[in-house]
Amino acid sequence: MLEQQLVNGFTLGLIYALIAVGYTMVYGVIELINFAHGEIYMLGAFLTLSFISMGLPLPLAVVLAMLAAAAIGVLLDIVAYRPLREAPRLAALITAIGMSIFLQNLAMIIWGSRPLPFPRQALPAFFSEPALTFSDVTISWMQMLIYAVAVVLMVGLNLVITKTRVGTAMRALAQNQTAAALMGINVNRVITFTFALGSAMGAMAGIMVSMYYNTMYPTMGYLAGVKAFAAAVLGGIGSVPGAMLGGVVLGIAETLGAGYLSSPYRDGVAYAVMILVIIFRPSGLLGRAVTEKA
Amino acid sequence: MRGAANSLKYLLLAAALAYPLMPFRDVYVLHVLVLIMVYMVLAMGLNILPGFCGLLDLGFVGFYGIGAYTAGLLTVHYNMSFWLIVPLAVINGALFGVLLGAPTLRLVGDYFAIVTFGFSELVVLFLTNEIWLTRGPLGIPGIAPIALDVTWLATLLGIDERWRYVFRGEMPYYYLAMVMVALVYVVMRRVEDSRLGRAWLAIREDPMAAASCGVNLFAYKVIAFAVSTGIGAMAGAFLARWSQFLSPDMFKFWESFLVLCMVVLGGLGNINGALIGSVILIALGEVLRVVLPKLGLPAETRFLAYGLIMVLIMRFRPNGIFTQVAESTMQSRLIKDLRARLDARRTA
Amino acid sequence: MDAILSVDGVSKRFGGLMALSDVSFAVERGVITGLIGPNGAGKTTMFNCVAGIYTPTDGRIVFADGAGERNVAGSKPERMTTLGVARTFQNIRLFATLTVLDNVRIARHCRTSANFFGAVLRTKSQRAEEQRIIDAAMDNLDFVGLGETALSPASSLSYGDQRRLEIARALATDPKLLLLDEPAAGMNPRETEGLVDLIHAILSRGVTVVLIEHDMKLVMRICKRLVVLDHGVKIADGSPQEVRSNPDVIEAYLGKGAAHA
Repeated sequence: MLEQQLVNGFTLGLIYALIAVGYTMVYGVIELINFAHGEIYMLGAFLTLSFISMGLPLPLAVVLAMLAAAAIGVLLDIVAYRPLREAPRLAALITAIGMSIFLQNLAMIIWGSRPLPFPRQALPAFFSEPALTFSDVTISWMQMLIYAVAVVLMVGLNLVITKTRVGTAMRALAQNQTAAALMGINVNRVITFTFALGSAMGAMAGIMVSMYYNTMYPTMGYLAGVKAFAAAVLGGIGSVPGAMLGGVVLGIAETLGAGYLSSPYRDGVAYAVMILVIIFRPSGLLGRAVTEKA
Repeated sequence: MRGAANSLKYLLLAAALAYPLMPFRDVYVLHVLVLIMVYMVLAMGLNILPGFCGLLDLGFVGFYGIGAYTAGLLTVHYNMSFWLIVPLAVINGALFGVLLGAPTLRLVGDYFAIVTFGFSELVVLFLTNEIWLTRGPLGIPGIAPIALDVTWLATLLGIDERWRYVFRGEMPYYYLAMVMVALVYVVMRRVEDSRLGRAWLAIREDPMAAASCGVNLFAYKVIAFAVSTGIGAMAGAFLARWSQFLSPDMFKFWESFLVLCMVVLGGLGNINGALIGSVILIALGEVLRVVLPKLGLPAETRFLAYGLIMVLIMRFRPNGIFTQVAESTMQSRLIKDLRARLDARRTA
Repeated sequence: MDAILSVDGVSKRFGGLMALSDVSFAVERGVITGLIGPNGAGKTTMFNCVAGIYTPTDGRIVFADGAGERNVAGSKPERMTTLGVARTFQNIRLFATLTVLDNVRIARHCRTSANFFGAVLRTKSQRAEEQRIIDAAMDNLDFVGLGETALSPASSLSYGDQRRLEIARALATDPKLLLLDEPAAGMNPRETEGLVDLIHAILSRGVTVVLIEHDMKLVMRICKRLVVLDHGVKIADGSPQEVRSNPDVIEAYLGKGAAHA
């Protein structure tokens, strides 16, 4: 029982981790909590659904959905956040909340407010069958797929951040925006790239969640977004490895909390973890301390 | 111009006072007007944080809920008088504000937004799941209406009667809500034009400079949070005895968002703006609630408009649609004296 | 020397960077002291340590306010203001959307006491205090010559006037020691002349002044004593004449070898 909980929690945690890196990367470069990131995750699922219903094969639909989500993320930055870069932080934060609510309701208008199933016919039938079974622990092919995709994306992301020029620029920006600009880094281009990357990963998380639970609904980004943000805080906001670690820890904590403590408070685990971490260890597991200057 | 605006203000006030007594009054309209006034109180209360201190509070509704359930439970279990419940609810709300604010207000503003959000979601989870206390999703029905018992006055006057007035229908609540709005309004105006209000504005404008002027940032943020949450809880206490029913659904994140939208629309830090924002958004909500289903859309999609309003205001009118910052400060007697002195000096 | 402020072995480290290392100097009461040095020498960091923005990693900062001496290193900024240390900022930090008057009224915060209940009930003492706040604020505004603009928004002032307003705001806290961070930066010669007069007037109010300034002509003219920092280390200390001929100072400013040229 415990082992199965751990497996399920780990799966969930990887999903949170994929969303959390989007929060943390954007926070790293522009110090903004992009509340609308949860909606990008939701849009990933719905766009895949729409592409499949147009008759596209699943892999193509997924890639197109990720690209579209990346474009929406970039557009979000250019239209909503970029004009407020010099404005007080509060203005950008309020705009982020507004965009989150706006996108959520836009999805409700386009796809309706009721949950829709993931088009199962697009998936190979064996996905829901067990891939591995040890005594009383089962890992389904679906879960295996999530592990594989998550690992590939995370490793790829780490390579991008540590080995490429744009990744180096991202880290430079996170350190000091003015200095980075003086060094000849095109700040806006790097920010755009960050939004694109984070949004694509968030969309992938949304696609896999909708496959895993066989459901999607316009408000799904709300809770997942908060939990992923909690994961980013837990790992240390601004730290990409921290977000990955935070996601996994949170996913396991949530599943165990629901299984052993009290299942109605399942969602409360994320909030409680988030509040406690912010109060007692605002730098998170792997991050730098963020305290009020002056 | 100023004179015309003032006349309009008094005209509106007179109309508002007279409306419930008019033969053409409408119960639905009265209900919506009371609702607007509840939101006016909420908007003025929330305004303290983002408006005066520059702190984003995303969990305001949690304190509204704490106030409402405090009032509801005290009424159902102890049949306590509303007039006693109000201060208790305010104190309880402020207490939770201090408990949550004390450890978190030292952190950067973004974290504060997240903590308040998480807290208000935890409040809803608590209200939903602690069935022994709150009956959970079933809610608390049958909360007694407000009653005004002045039998003691009759006894004092030597009259052997029971002088007890029970609030029935919308009309008494309407007038009580007006009193509540007026009270909070006066409090906010006076605080804004005071040492406390100036300290808050300084924190919003530049925390480091505020500290260098001798303002203890942490203490003044905690005070702001306590006053704000206390006002939210007061609105909740009124709601409990007015709607006579409470359920956890009434305190979801949407409500926090709606109140924030009112404050943003009216202009962060603008008390009059908060009032106007409440009128506009509740009225808009009522209209959209009717119009949207006719277009085949769920009524919740009205939040699309609210979201858009917030984004557009921040982009194009960051001071709201009414841009008179700290207007009360400019109207105080002391400032008028000073203005006269300066004018005299200039002409001399 | 009657020192109002004694900085004793102060160091400040940010991560791996020593912004200040083992700096000691004293500020004489009642005169103008200049804190100079090339860019990045640690001058503003020093101000921030004295004003309570930063806690020094090491060392003592002793403030003698007449009543006694105390080590104030690590005190909060609001505490330093209450003790009588006021400061202005290198990059002007006014409360831009508030009026000129309100900027100065806020500075009376540390000398007044009305609370929430006083404000709501408008008690007699609260109203009297508000009047006193306005009077004090106007005195300080008139002192720097901005009385007429009291009710305009602070952001509407010219650059030079914004600097004067920051000084008025600092003075309104009734300081014994005033720290001015590049007060003449961005001023034209006429405004700078006005500033010199203002600083002398501040001095004659019994306020000791320490200033960071890049305008060497100004510094040499008005400061009685100079402290020179370079790369976080104090390299010279003394009268302008002594400092001017100090080879270490010339080297710090003009580069190696310059002293022998």
